[in-house]
Amino acid sequence: MTPEAPHIDWAGLSPIVALTAGGIVVLAAGLFRGAWLRRYGVPLLTLLTLGATAGLSIWQWGEDKAIVSRALAVDDLAMFLNLLFCAGAIAAVVLALRDSSPEESGHGEWHALLISSVLGMTVLASAQNLVVVFLGFELLSIPLYVMCATNLRRSKSLESGLKYLIVGSVGSATLLYGLAMIYGATGATGFEQIATALSSQAGLIDDPLTLTGIGLIVVGFCFKVSAAPFHQWTPDVYEGAPTPVTAFMAVATKAAAFGAFVRLFDVALIDAATNWSPLLAAVAVASIVVGNVGALTQTSLKRLLAWSSIAQAGYMLAAVVVADREGVEALAFYLAVYLVMNLAAFAVIVARERETPFGDDIRSLAGLGASRPALAWPMTLAMLSLAGIPATAGFIGKFTLIGATVDGGYTWLGVAIVVGSMLSLYYYLRVVAAMWLSDVPVPAAREPVPAIAGGSPELDAAADPEDGAGQDAGPDRPVSQAEATAVAVLFGAATLFFGILPSPLFDLARDAGSALGLL
Amino acid sequence: MPLSLLIWLPAVSGLVAVLWPARWAPRVVLAGSVITLVLAIGYVASFDRGAEGLQWVTDETWIAELGIHYKLGLDGLNLFLVLVTALLFAAALLHANLREWERPRLFFFMFALAESAVLGAFLAQDLALFVAFFDLMLIPFYFLIGAWGRGERVRATTKLVIYTLVGSLFMLAGAIATGVIAAEGGGELTFVLSDLAQVQLAEGTQQWIFLCFALAFLVKMPLFPVHGWMPDGYRAMPLPVLAVFSAVLSKVAAYGFLRVVLPLYPDASVHFQELMLLLAVAAILYGSVMAFTQTDLRLILGFSSMAQLGFIVLGIFALRPEGAQGALLQMVNHALVVVPLFFVVGALAARAGGSEDIRDMGGMAARAPLLAATFLIAALANLAMPGFANFVGEFYILLGVFESKLAIAIVASTGVVLASVYMLRAFIATMHNRAGSRAESRELSLGEGVAIVPLVVCVLALALYPQLPLARSEKSIDASVRTAQAVQR
Amino acid sequence: MDIGWYLAVSALVFCTGAGGVLVRRNPLVILLCLELMLNAANLALVAFARMHGSGDGQIFALIVMVVAACEVTIGLGVIVAIHRRRLPVDVDELRELRG
Repeated sequence: MTPEAPHIDWAGLSPIVALTAGGIVVLAAGLFRGAWLRRYGVPLLTLLTLGATAGLSIWQWGEDKAIVSRALAVDDLAMFLNLLFCAGAIAAVVLALRDSSPEESGHGEWHALLISSVLGMTVLASAQNLVVVFLGFELLSIPLYVMCATNLRRSKSLESGLKYLIVGSVGSATLLYGLAMIYGATGATGFEQIATALSSQAGLIDDPLTLTGIGLIVVGFCFKVSAAPFHQWTPDVYEGAPTPVTAFMAVATKAAAFGAFVRLFDVALIDAATNWSPLLAAVAVASIVVGNVGALTQTSLKRLLAWSSIAQAGYMLAAVVVADREGVEALAFYLAVYLVMNLAAFAVIVARERETPFGDDIRSLAGLGASRPALAWPMTLAMLSLAGIPATAGFIGKFTLIGATVDGGYTWLGVAIVVGSMLSLYYYLRVVAAMWLSDVPVPAAREPVPAIAGGSPELDAAADPEDGAGQDAGPDRPVSQAEATAVAVLFGAATLFFGILPSPLFDLARDAGSALGLL
Repeated sequence: MPLSLLIWLPAVSGLVAVLWPARWAPRVVLAGSVITLVLAIGYVASFDRGAEGLQWVTDETWIAELGIHYKLGLDGLNLFLVLVTALLFAAALLHANLREWERPRLFFFMFALAESAVLGAFLAQDLALFVAFFDLMLIPFYFLIGAWGRGERVRATTKLVIYTLVGSLFMLAGAIATGVIAAEGGGELTFVLSDLAQVQLAEGTQQWIFLCFALAFLVKMPLFPVHGWMPDGYRAMPLPVLAVFSAVLSKVAAYGFLRVVLPLYPDASVHFQELMLLLAVAAILYGSVMAFTQTDLRLILGFSSMAQLGFIVLGIFALRPEGAQGALLQMVNHALVVVPLFFVVGALAARAGGSEDIRDMGGMAARAPLLAATFLIAALANLAMPGFANFVGEFYILLGVFESKLAIAIVASTGVVLASVYMLRAFIATMHNRAGSRAESRELSLGEGVAIVPLVVCVLALALYPQLPLARSEKSIDASVRTAQAVQR
Repeated sequence: MDIGWYLAVSALVFCTGAGGVLVRRNPLVILLCLELMLNAANLALVAFARMHGSGDGQIFALIVMVVAACEVTIGLGVIVAIHRRRLPVDVDELRELRG
């Protein structure tokens, strides 16, 4: 007698299957010798994989089921976030087409790592179990640690990889310890069982184990979403990582972490809300203040966006604190908006890094309004949107966030968002001013790229300036950045579009928001 | 004819200008604004003065999820403000056509966008839409001042934008809270003004929301003590931009009190009445004194505007129909007067070697009777000489305040006297007195004349027939003030 | 034996690891300390699994071990890459990015 095989819901698993298969194929394709295949075939395969994943996620839209022993949820929130991850990863692939980082680390490896990071995010976004939360986080983070360090010739990149690894692992370990405490207190790892245990057993909510667990989990999550006071790594890692990686990391990691955040806190730990909501509210306010103040004096655009992302994490945390359907809806909407406006900004940074010798310094944008309107407008829209000016998606996003906080009885958090936005005006407008109101600066001398000890001649050849890629391209040799410009224009237009007609995005966010079954 | 046409026509002309060769941009945008003006005149001509409520209503659902409607409408409150906006933008664009600008396409596109945003703010009948247009107004001005201004333009722009956006963000929070809290009783989330006016918010809620809105509006006007951006901003702005900024944007803020604050937050309006009246009086006195001590003509006009806006706020917060009527008339008057005054400043500066300091001027009237006459008419209108519509406006305002707060009215009356002192000082110092070292007397050129004289004719026409706006606005004003007045009793 | 003892040991190990990450400068030692933190959690998980009499915690611990191995491998890889660039193998000297 053969034992009955467990039922496998292949349809529900299909995005994950597609990513896994795609990752393997891409890794294998990277082994072929043809330069063309490696340089263009691998990104193409990656795009196909991501496109297929997005398509499968759309196919599964409207489903509401739990698969793999109820460890993974296939619902609209997970599928919505899947679409965000794919969008972020596709943008990263396009931006990296002529970047030096896949060149130096191997195209197959770079893209396979990207796909496995997306896989981790997909797993995390549908996690319904403590084990899966941890697994998803690690599967997302470990490839990212490597990707940060893929610019092997820049010590900054390696340094950021190591820093991210250390800080990220501390975050993971803290999170894990917290998860262990929750398991200890409730005796369950599934979210539903935890929620049942917390609501049925008297006194469990105020049990020291539960409280320690919640505290440690909050700390771990703060590391991951870069919320104050565990944010210090963010500017360094954002600045050091290759810019396409930074772009992907900034938008997709945040979406994944917040997806897990709402599932864990607003579903599993919802009965302990009286214990964690003051803590999270304090973290939200701290992030808003620290992020906005930190950004005021930055001159590097990537660092500026890093600090701004800390502040934005604070805004989004406010929606988690509210813990109702409207909060999740506002969060989902804002995550999408956040992706759109940040990708527009990062695409411009990528293009300017290659066009000017200033790297990601704010000087690289000087006079852009006159010389490159196709880049200046997306950046302007992105900055105005991040600041929350009307007719941009950011305005509608902030509108819904503030509306959700007021409706949920946290008016003061709404006020904190408003005050944070005021501070942020200063630095966002500084970027706009640099583009439209200032003159073009004189370029400085270029720094030579040092050789790697023990590096292969092949790698050295790859970094040759003749290649046209990398940060070596000076203004004396204009390189058309068509693909970066296209990404910038696309997402800039989306920022404007969703600012004027947000209804389509709202429909998606509403479906995602109602997936958790909150009131 | 939908009102959307009126709003978006300038912006569309701006877009057309961007696509056409650069030398056509000024003409295209000017043509767009003139057509807008003709449309606006058409609306005024066919306005049904007997009807109550909004006319030509456009009501589309914009963002259903948030209850935000794209609702536009004309009534007595905004009818003439829209007309004046269209007129003054056309005049300012005409003035801007007189000289060359760097990157003209972007300049005129931004100018056109500004007109669309201002018209949108005046016509919006949905709170969220109003907030959106109110903030949107600032974007084109940011570029106009920052890229085409003079002197410390970037610093001045940043200061201006941060001041006003901080106010706007408070207003945003207040607006969201109004909608969300009004819907808490089980009603559907909506931001349509007429629906919100049906819901009575708790008095404590009204009070903090009132303060949010008041801050936004006072900064925009600007009124003492939140006018910190004004001196730098006025100095840095290009002249045609400054003219519409001073004439129209401050009116959007004053209009916001009548359209939004009084009907939606009547209890708070009564609660803070004295505070607002005191602020208004402070603005009148401070503005007058500062206008008297400044030597830069722009700042003289800037501080005189502050005093005038003090009067307007005074009229609104008399919470009497007479006061509000006067305030509305005064908004139209001040806008009509201040633009030709700024153009005269431009003309004077052109004759004084580019300086706008009255110490460098003098004796300008000698060979320029037309220039002197237009300046004199505008100056007399600004100081509310009897016979001008400004006199009627201030008279109504003070009448309203006398009925409610006698002491404040008496102090405010001194502002009328001070106005004649500083306006005549500016006139005498520039047109008469001993000629300045670099000043030469020259008659208005044709271009300057075309920009200035029609506006002065409008001022004179309004002086002869102030009933034109008053008769049409009466019913709407009553409706706006009614709730607050009822609370007060 | 009372579960409290297991938890005490686990907490001690966790704090040792956390303290090590904060004060030690050699990235290799920091990686070691990270391992300590993860294994402290493992100890707690296994102890809890025994307490609740369910296998979940043990499975969790097994998965953590795999993940920990991955993390260390990656960490060593990055350190080797840094070494090849002749950067100082001392986290306090890594200050090109002002933190």
